Amino acid sequence: MTHVAGRKPALTWTVHLSVGLLVLLWVIPTLGLLVSSFRSGDQIVSSGWWQALFTQESQLSPIRVAGEEVARDGVFVIEGRLFPGAARVSAWGTSSREPAAYAPGATADLGEGMGLRVEGDGFYVLTSARTTEGTRLPRIFTTAATPPEFTLANYRMVLFSPMAGQSILQAFLNTATVAIPATVIPILVAAFAAYALAWMEFPGRALLVAAVVGLLVVPLQLALIPLLQVHNALGIGKGYLGIWLAHTGFGLPLAIYLLRNYMVGLPRDIIENARVDGATEFQIFTRIVLPLSFPALASFAIFQFLWTWNDLLVALVFLGTSNDQQVLTGNIVNLMGSRGGDWEILSASAFVSIAVPLVVFFSMQRFLVRGLLAGSVK
Amino acid sequence: MEQVFPALATIVIGVGGCVGYFWASNLVLDRVIFPARGPKAGQNTSRANMLRPWLFLLPALLALGLYLAYPVFATAWLSLNRNTGGELAFVGLDNYRAMFAEAKFRESLRNNLLWLVVVPALSTGLGLMVAQLTDRIRWGNLAKSLIFMPMAISFVGASVIWKLIYDTREAGQAQIGLLNALWLRFEGGVWSTILLRALPALLLLGLAGVLAWLLWGQVGALARARLAGRVLRGPGMALGAWLVWVALSWAWGAATAQLPYGQPQFWLQIPFWNNFFLMAVLVWLQTGFAMVILSAALRGVPEETVEAAILDGANPFQIFFRIKVPQIMGTIVVVWTTITITVLKVFDIVRAMTGGQQETQVLANYMYDKLFVAVDWGVGSAAAMVILALVTPILVWNVWTARREMR
Amino acid sequence: MRTDLLAGAAALALSAGGAVAQELKFPVGEGAFDWESYRAYDAATDLDGQTLTIFGPWRGEDQVLVESMLAYFEAASGVEVNYSSSEGYEQQIIIDAEAGSPPDVAILPQPGLIADLAAKGHILPLGEEARAWLVGNYGAGESWAALGTYRGKDGADAFFAFPYKADVKSLVWYVPENFEDAGYEVPATMEELKALTEKIVADGGTPWCIGLASGGATGWPATDWVEDLMLRTQPPEVYDRWVTNALPFDSPEVIGAIEEFGWFARNDAFVQGGAAAVASTDFRDSPKGLFASPPGCYMHRQASFIPSFFPEGTELGTDADFFYFPAYADRDLGQPVLGAGTLAFIMRDGAAARAFIDWLKTPIAHEIWMAQSGFVTPYKAVNTDLYGSAALKKQGEILANATTFRFDGSDLMPGAVGAGSFWTAMVDYVGGKSAGEVAAAVQASWPK
Repeated sequence: MTHVAGRKPALTWTVHLSVGLLVLLWVIPTLGLLVSSFRSGDQIVSSGWWQALFTQESQLSPIRVAGEEVARDGVFVIEGRLFPGAARVSAWGTSSREPAAYAPGATADLGEGMGLRVEGDGFYVLTSARTTEGTRLPRIFTTAATPPEFTLANYRMVLFSPMAGQSILQAFLNTATVAIPATVIPILVAAFAAYALAWMEFPGRALLVAAVVGLLVVPLQLALIPLLQVHNALGIGKGYLGIWLAHTGFGLPLAIYLLRNYMVGLPRDIIENARVDGATEFQIFTRIVLPLSFPALASFAIFQFLWTWNDLLVALVFLGTSNDQQVLTGNIVNLMGSRGGDWEILSASAFVSIAVPLVVFFSMQRFLVRGLLAGSVK
Repeated sequence: MEQVFPALATIVIGVGGCVGYFWASNLVLDRVIFPARGPKAGQNTSRANMLRPWLFLLPALLALGLYLAYPVFATAWLSLNRNTGGELAFVGLDNYRAMFAEAKFRESLRNNLLWLVVVPALSTGLGLMVAQLTDRIRWGNLAKSLIFMPMAISFVGASVIWKLIYDTREAGQAQIGLLNALWLRFEGGVWSTILLRALPALLLLGLAGVLAWLLWGQVGALARARLAGRVLRGPGMALGAWLVWVALSWAWGAATAQLPYGQPQFWLQIPFWNNFFLMAVLVWLQTGFAMVILSAALRGVPEETVEAAILDGANPFQIFFRIKVPQIMGTIVVVWTTITITVLKVFDIVRAMTGGQQETQVLANYMYDKLFVAVDWGVGSAAAMVILALVTPILVWNVWTARREMR
Repeated sequence: MRTDLLAGAAALALSAGGAVAQELKFPVGEGAFDWESYRAYDAATDLDGQTLTIFGPWRGEDQVLVESMLAYFEAASGVEVNYSSSEGYEQQIIIDAEAGSPPDVAILPQPGLIADLAAKGHILPLGEEARAWLVGNYGAGESWAALGTYRGKDGADAFFAFPYKADVKSLVWYVPENFEDAGYEVPATMEELKALTEKIVADGGTPWCIGLASGGATGWPATDWVEDLMLRTQPPEVYDRWVTNALPFDSPEVIGAIEEFGWFARNDAFVQGGAAAVASTDFRDSPKGLFASPPGCYMHRQASFIPSFFPEGTELGTDADFFYFPAYADRDLGQPVLGAGTLAFIMRDGAAARAFIDWLKTPIAHEIWMAQSGFVTPYKAVNTDLYGSAALKKQGEILANATTFRFDGSDLMPGAVGAGSFWTAMVDYVGGKSAGEVAAAVQASWPK
């Protein structure tokens, strides 16, 4: 199809440009989160993520003098460095009122025989006539140029923190245990139903199609209590069986709707010919319709997998929250603590949780494209 | 790790069970109940064929009935009752009356209508555009993957991402929100005029133009359509005309607005417009969905029809709008429907970003508040019924296209 | 048939997990803990092999703390505890209660919600004896016992929920050195606090950091302000009538308290970022202005949990400290304290559940947590020297010295108000609507 555009280079360029612009627009939000996930909490709130690659000249939060006190030539001295990195101090002070009172290398007189000197590289010396034992040491306010700095601490926190009471590996397994059957079962059930609704003649077919569309809109939230009641009454209770059934039920309308719609579009003569040749409906379905519907099956599989993977609400209600049941989303939300979270944890955990869906998508995409090509040759 | 085996076993048993059911039930039907042999072979075959669709449908119908239809009826019943001290008391339409009297409900209804127009239109439109444009360039698959990526992010994750974009710091401090950082670059000069006045106004004018053009095409169809078609299209066209008017008046508004340059904006607190900042999140998430489905449909368009149009001297725009779009109309309806339904159900975004405050409440979140915060089953269920009612036009539209397909 | 097979597989999947025994944080017999109470409980309780599911509000760091306490209960009683929590635990407890699969014991910070559950018959009374114990052993015992007393399904009042763990809310956080640098004194009265606010503005600074944003719960920090100011402008009896709606929400007393809050929050010069920033600043980010250089603000009114959101490495007492949110000197209302806390209640009866409530009566159940962080208790028999930090000890003293203690009003009100219209009203109020208008909206939303 490229020949249409091929004749007009200006048009081709417009296409490239507008696709590029759209992709940029779509990627920037995620990129922002990705960059933020490698920055410390302080960095995230003090400068925009797009500045993360540049040296920042800014007023830093005060740092308190700390370190071993040594007696030298009759005075007590504490030496240390303000920051481990390669930041350059351009001005400093010891009072919140005048945070930039001194130049690097200058000595400030703090009274009572105490003096403080801060060098450009963040090295400081506090000298005191009396021992500083038991007294509060001064804070140093600095204006400094900080080179770009990235950290893996957020990921370490998300992946290995003992806080949530379970390992992230266990949560991964739990989520996979939920998501895989909850993806495969509805597809299978829906494929048969979709075929019946698309290619089999029986009274009430249009009504059933309408009912499926109507059921698409049922809000999940209002189904929670009646269904959990049913599960408890049936003895399923809370557990994996319950959540598979629930995801199957909730995913079915869309699966049937999408698959029926695709199957209706398959060429009529192939199916008619097969019928004339004496194939049973079951054979037509498994040998002809199912292979031809592969792209639709693959795309629905991706969506259903993504939804069950990212779901929190259904898992909380139908599965429970003990350690051998807690899913990844639940684990991450708990990690954020009782009162919500910080951007650094949120961003790192968002990337941990989307890793699997992305891998699934990129590997499925190959099938998707191949299936589509196979379909269009028909 | 102990879980791997049971999980695998379940997959095998579950999937095997499903396949086994379909296979065995077919076999039983054909061989045992109505064998296509003996004196009644013909009669048996037709009987078996009458029953077979229901065999195929049975598991789906059971699951749909229990997991979706039953809760709907339970909800309908709850919406007519009041729950006091664990006992249900029938109160007729009192819950609905109480709900409609509430300002917060009317606000969510208004916002929901806005969402219903904007999000499906933008997502489907952008998805279609991306699907068409990426078809013809070499890095199309990469572009598609990148645009699809937000689908892999949970609603909660998406809210975090966009909160970072909409963040606001005091004037004079470094902005960490991208939108404010960009906004503060504009100072009212020539570029501001071009980008913030002329461009949006032109885009809106273009939108109005496209809508008017489509509407004009429909006027002819309306005259030719039968009565049922007219009844169905009438409201649609009225809506279209209203949208053209809205687009025109917004274009005028964009060109003449007084913009507060130099002041950081609290995007999620600007009444009315904050709804659009929330919608952007959903559009960002759903465009990938529309794109994947529509791109599959576009590839299914028979090459011959396009070749024929090229030979007739049609330009790329004509090919797209006159040849391709009509052929994938069924899929567009599907995508539009699915996104509309997502819009009706979505509450996580609003809940996580504004909690429905500052006039951003939507029905699904209103319902959630009533059900689980206020523990008022009656009104919560009534709100759910309103959500169900809102889908009726889409239902009609779908049945209509389904019937046309079958002919 | 298929279902049976699936159920078998599910059972296999379920049996794969298992509780991990936790080590005891403080060795039994060491330190100033009341080990006597532990040994006595250990000797009296033998429930080996029983299990108990507990559902609570604590996640993340707090979950580690509560589990350290539960480990002692497990060791002493032999009961195996399964503690769980979740985001949106308030909704989950409602769903589980209605559907018939509740935990054995639940712990919640909202008496209003517990009252709802009690009225529907989802929880079991703890008995008169537990109530009497509370009255005798908790400071201001009567008011704590009243917090756990609700009307049951049968229409009779009974004692349902056992308060365990308190939070002090009437605190103003500040950085002592910033006060010293500028020469400010910690105010002892509300008049002084207001004068200090104006003086900071006159000196070119910004006195307050206020942030109300909290996702779906946006607005709640302002309800604490209003409740605190209600206690400082009206006698406690008025407060009690307000939370039960015996005093309408739009009466002048309440509007007065809202306007007092407006004096602080609706003045562009008084708050960091101006009044417009109040509703959109996340409450977790709002204290960060205290530590900025130059200071973004000098004071931040928030409950005792807020240090978790201070910059890393902040040392309480040195880098940051708090003072009591003072009362008016000329109103003669004493030293009222606003607080909050969590209450434990039984949803499924059993020996282990009853034993857990008895466990909460031992001093050791309180001391294990208070020796770590974030825990204040009104239990009189605990050794207050065990408080994990000077800050906690000071909060314990504020709690002990209170002439009036009142529970967070929004947690006492029905969910539709306390977790709904009250929040919205506060956001609308800082957004510019009048106090009368927003108060009328809350009154209209009060469930009849």
